[in-house]
Amino acid sequence: MYLYLPVALTSINILIPVGLGLAVGLLSGLFGVGGGFLMTPLLIMFGIPATVAAATDSNQIVAASTSGTYAHWRVGNVDFKMGMYLLIGGFVGGLFGVQAIKILKATGNADFVIKMTYVLMLGIVGTYMFIESLQSIRKAKKGDDAHSSESSKESAFGRFLKSLPLQTHFEKSGVTDSLLLPLLFGGFVGVLAAIMGVGGGFLMVPVMVYILRMPMHVVVGTSLFQILFNCIEVTFLQAYTNHNVDFILAVLLLLGSTVGAQVGAVFGRKLKGEQLKIILAIIVLAVTVKIIFELTLSPSLMLSQAGGH
Amino acid sequence: MKVRTEKLKVAAFLLFCAAALLLYGSSALAELTINANHDHINIDFFYNGSTVSVSGVSDPDVDLIVKISSADGHEVLKQKGKVAGILWMNVGTLEFKEAPNFYSVHCTKNIEDLLDKGEADKYVLGYSALERHVEIIPASKEEEKDRWFNEFVKYKESSKLYACSVGRLSAQSKGAKGLYYIKLDWPYQAAPGDYIVNVYAVKNKKVIEKAETKVFVEQVGIVKRLSEMAKDNGAIYGIISILAALGAGFGVGLIFRKGGGSH
Repeated sequence: MYLYLPVALTSINILIPVGLGLAVGLLSGLFGVGGGFLMTPLLIMFGIPATVAAATDSNQIVAASTSGTYAHWRVGNVDFKMGMYLLIGGFVGGLFGVQAIKILKATGNADFVIKMTYVLMLGIVGTYMFIESLQSIRKAKKGDDAHSSESSKESAFGRFLKSLPLQTHFEKSGVTDSLLLPLLFGGFVGVLAAIMGVGGGFLMVPVMVYILRMPMHVVVGTSLFQILFNCIEVTFLQAYTNHNVDFILAVLLLLGSTVGAQVGAVFGRKLKGEQLKIILAIIVLAVTVKIIFELTLSPSLMLSQAGGH
Repeated sequence: MKVRTEKLKVAAFLLFCAAALLLYGSSALAELTINANHDHINIDFFYNGSTVSVSGVSDPDVDLIVKISSADGHEVLKQKGKVAGILWMNVGTLEFKEAPNFYSVHCTKNIEDLLDKGEADKYVLGYSALERHVEIIPASKEEEKDRWFNEFVKYKESSKLYACSVGRLSAQSKGAKGLYYIKLDWPYQAAPGDYIVNVYAVKNKKVIEKAETKVFVEQVGIVKRLSEMAKDNGAIYGIISILAALGAGFGVGLIFRKGGGSH
């Protein structure tokens, strides 16, 4: 059955957005990412204008991340305190990122910088997570001997982090970190996310795992919590200033994504943290390879709709 | 004698009138007409495009061209190019001026064989004439304009907004008149608005007659209300979208909890 989308001005078979929502919602519940880096290009592929695809995706992420946050909160996997500091950092970083985009557009280098930032960030994060999780899985298989060497390796970096001021204990995550860390790294992700035009979940998750040393299951819930607030803000701004949110498309997407997020959260509890990390790393690397192909293969169309990144 | 002359005069007058009527009648039979079976397309919730049949009567020994187009507009598109010799990315924008958003031309023979250049340009018939009509900024050189116009057509054809065909328009003689007919798929990508449907009768490389009708495409019902709200009440529309998403997220969460998915 087809439905007409009043803002996208196009018609779509309802199975497509519901199916996409289900798949991306599943990833969201599993890994704590919004999935914009997957969903937006897929929607464009199915004929949704780029600007509407990005804006509407943020609306459906509100639903998926509400569903996912709720599922993770029920089992005590959301660190609201850490989430709030990351949100503040992300918000300020986002403001800087928007200014950076304005400057880049004025100099005419925007597309090059955005694409390169995207490829580099996805590539570095994906590769690092993949290698690290693989090593952890191997060590876990070998036995407990590895744990002692790992903890001694961690202590060097740990000492530096402990020397930072404003040390605070985050009960839910069971970690003590300087308040500066979530603020600074939240800000850093905010800048990059604004430049790339994405929510930044795939960057925030590694920051929480590797810098803030939070347990993977709490990372997923907390990431979804801060994604929820980011996407509420983006949805409102997109609807108010650009009129690009397609309500019907968002409803179709969220029909799938809210259910997918719940299923993902249930599955996630059955997987180990290392397994979750390595699967996310493989997805991130697959997206990197796809973007590299897009950049190097001759496009079938040399013109595309203006607007968006 | 005088009465006979009068009678003859009356007879001659009647004969003249009959001949004039006959002549008028025969030309009226062949007068070009146009009719679109579906001249008001409503875009409702379940709209997935439509079909439009264009038919009419023509002189039997003319060739025909049917053109459906929207008003000329301007469009800004991103232009892809190579950066550093290997990477394809957007390198700038191109502005297409005087270009209709929708352009669909169908003829009985190749347009280049049917019309001379001046005549094709006058009525903007065929891609070559459209290329001369459209202004592409900043592609000023002929070669560059030609390349980007072809890319523009490819882009438009990929979303079914541009089409050109030869032979799909069927024309047949029936007595002293010709009948023509074409059935077209109306793409859902065609935006709401007025579309002009023209038929041109062509003889000796000139347009000798032309007829016109319109197709109105309009959003109705919930589609129209949502579209208007998105444009006119962005803030309320945004808040409703957010609340709906929050409600759906919580709702599904509660359903799953009731379903026993929780710990």
